[in-house]
Amino acid sequence: MNIEEKLWNYIDGGCPADERQAIKSMIASDEAVRLKYQELLALNAEFAAIEPDEPPMAFTYNVMEAIRAEQAQKPLKAAINKRIILGIALFFAITITALLVYTFANIHVAPANINSTLPFSLKLPQAQNLLTRPVVNAFVFFDVVAALFFFDAWLRRKKKAGSLQ
Amino acid sequence: MQSKLSDLELIQETLGGNQAAYTELVKRHQRFVFTLALRFAKSREDAEEIAQDCFIKAFRSLGSFQGQSKFSTWLYSIVYTTSMTFLRKKRLDTDSIDDENTFVQVESQTSAFDVNNAENKSRSFYLNQAIGQLLPDDAAIITLFYKGEQSLEEIGQAMSMEANTVKVKLFRARQRLKEKLERNLKQEAKELI
Repeated sequence: MNIEEKLWNYIDGGCPADERQAIKSMIASDEAVRLKYQELLALNAEFAAIEPDEPPMAFTYNVMEAIRAEQAQKPLKAAINKRIILGIALFFAITITALLVYTFANIHVAPANINSTLPFSLKLPQAQNLLTRPVVNAFVFFDVVAALFFFDAWLRRKKKAGSLQ
Repeated sequence: MQSKLSDLELIQETLGGNQAAYTELVKRHQRFVFTLALRFAKSREDAEEIAQDCFIKAFRSLGSFQGQSKFSTWLYSIVYTTSMTFLRKKRLDTDSIDDENTFVQVESQTSAFDVNNAENKSRSFYLNQAIGQLLPDDAAIITLFYKGEQSLEEIGQAMSMEANTVKVKLFRARQRLKEKLERNLKQEAKELI
């Protein structure tokens, strides 16, 4: 470590007590060191007096506007509550399961050697009564909305992945 | 009223949904963030863009701020990484211009500017000019140390370096700044004669 580095350490207050004492006595006894110390001290004061630059007047406003704009883009995504999505998924899962159960229940497998009569009486609900036109329309409508939603989400993901590359 | 709140209190307010608190934080730190960005970007327009980007990034990640360091240290680490990314991007854009050439160019431009404005010059003008001629890292360390109220450890945190490395870099940066300042003043004296 040269004398200049030691002096900067001394000025910054970053040296241990014994070293500090040694430098102090060097400054007091050596004229060249004292002059160097004064020079660095003046430079230090000058560096400390540097004025930070002033950003444009509208800077804060621009930052807050950019944040507001960014947040305004979010609500559409954020407004879609995950519980709603889960609810829709659950609805479809139950509907599909019910349909599958109903379909399998109506399949008549009656080979000649199997006794098709059940040991108990089973009464299935008349599903034709449930599958009315409005129900089917609603089912198709949900399907279309869900398909559009997932297609949109897929496109967004694809676009985001593309912009990151 | 709000200006009396500490940075941490303002952060809590912001996280609670009070955007005015964040406006206060921006106002409090914008001058220094802009100055730091200017050490890398060299043009006010680019520095403004970087500084704005930093505050937006900070807002987005405010929830992840642990409060283990000063908010300013955390914010300056964002400024540093954003500025470095900017420089890398700029280097790619400009393709073949290397740093030395760029700084020689900046230097000669400012020298030409000097001749026309000799009467307005002061010692602080030369100092700012000399800082502008330093490498971005050196200029940033000088700025963080003298104006950012950051310790060597905090500067190390912000710039992802060891405190000892910062200490050595600060020493070298001060030497270079001194040399550039002396050279600029000598050049000015010659021009006046």
